Amino acid sequence: MILANLYNKVLGFFRQTEKEAEESSKDTARNRLRVVLMQDRTNLTPELMERMRKELVELLSKYVEMDKEALELNLEQDGDQVALMLSIPVIRAKDEDEIKAALEEEDKAKEDTEEISEESEDDEEESSENNDENLDDNEISDKTSENDLNSEEKTKKADEEIETAQKEDKDKNKDK
Amino acid sequence: MSGRVIVITSGKGGVGKTTTNANIGTALARAGKKVVMIDTDLGLRNLDLLLGLENRIVYTIVDVVEERCKLKQALVKDKKNPNLCLLAAAQTRDKSAVTEEQLKDICEKLKKDFDFILVDCPAGIEQGFQNAVAGASEAIVVTTPEMSAVRDADRIIGLLEAKEEIKSYKLLINRVRPNLIKSNDMMSVDDVVEILSADLIGIIPEDTGIITSTNKGEPIVNDEKSLAGKAYNNVARRIIGEDVPFLNLEEPQGVMAKIKKFFSGLTGKEK
Repeated sequence: MILANLYNKVLGFFRQTEKEAEESSKDTARNRLRVVLMQDRTNLTPELMERMRKELVELLSKYVEMDKEALELNLEQDGDQVALMLSIPVIRAKDEDEIKAALEEEDKAKEDTEEISEESEDDEEESSENNDENLDDNEISDKTSENDLNSEEKTKKADEEIETAQKEDKDKNKDK
Repeated sequence: MSGRVIVITSGKGGVGKTTTNANIGTALARAGKKVVMIDTDLGLRNLDLLLGLENRIVYTIVDVVEERCKLKQALVKDKKNPNLCLLAAAQTRDKSAVTEEQLKDICEKLKKDFDFILVDCPAGIEQGFQNAVAGASEAIVVTTPEMSAVRDADRIIGLLEAKEEIKSYKLLINRVRPNLIKSNDMMSVDDVVEILSADLIGIIPEDTGIITSTNKGEPIVNDEKSLAGKAYNNVARRIIGEDVPFLNLEEPQGVMAKIKKFFSGLTGKEK
């Protein structure tokens, strides 16, 4: 009987080490709590976050060609402050003419909103086709913060974001 | 004399506000301080039970506010410690019977005669909370290492930060279970502190002695052997300004202890 228990104990020990790879219930609680507190603290619903994401894509695609699907927008805690983290895998920097064209379009849009919005949608489709072959590993990290963070923290955050963005990119390449 | 007014609050119910109040109050009184506790949980009073004073209440805070008695007449003296008093809540009235202004006024008057005024806050963030906080300049936020309690504590901290009168607030983590933390089944004290980013004033282990001490109407700080009692005593000493290290709640880590535990595990399973 004691031997059987001993066997179970030893077995249990090895099982435990295997288990460590999984997320413990404590980690699940901590992560769920973090997310829910971000929302509690900012009053930003998931719908609003999605809307913000879309608007940012629209704004930034005037200047850079990016992987729109991989753009990540998250709220993260930094001490007692909440930071808005934006990570964009950049496929290609747009050249001067393209940016100029995009800006001119925007100016026109101010005069006549309806007409131009259709045009720019067409433009977006075209350019994303062109750039699928043109995969460049350039990553740019962009970040805005609700509060004034000091510059040290900013660079630290930016570095982290670049890392995660690169990991994502590697994963994508594997898939291909 | 100008006493310190400390509100003990939590948002969520059942995390140990009233127990914390009774124990910190008793510990402060044992340390020679003059302490008065105000139960502001009108309609759901319990602080009297934890102190074993339920049969001695003649007047309540509502009687004071409605001028049926003087403030001093309503203060119930503790059985053991003459330094300790209770201003009980009314059981038959609701939260609207006392206003923020009236509570502020009572706290101001008590400041003259006591070192510490501990305000026991009702659960929730409604008027009862607003009343309890009104007269205080310090707060102790009680939470447990559970998601719902931490979330509610975060909400309370947000509300306290918005209040100009509250100069400082500290976190007290109650019902900590070291063995669950060890097996990664409970958030650790560090996790909770990091998530709430608040200063810690106490870590209280889960202790079955709390139940028996409540049964008897005697705060656990009076029990010298109890670990929770020791932890509450340490909180009181930190409030006074002493630098007291946090208790090590982990089980003893010596070789003998490990062997003992191993064998107790074996025999335990055979039952």
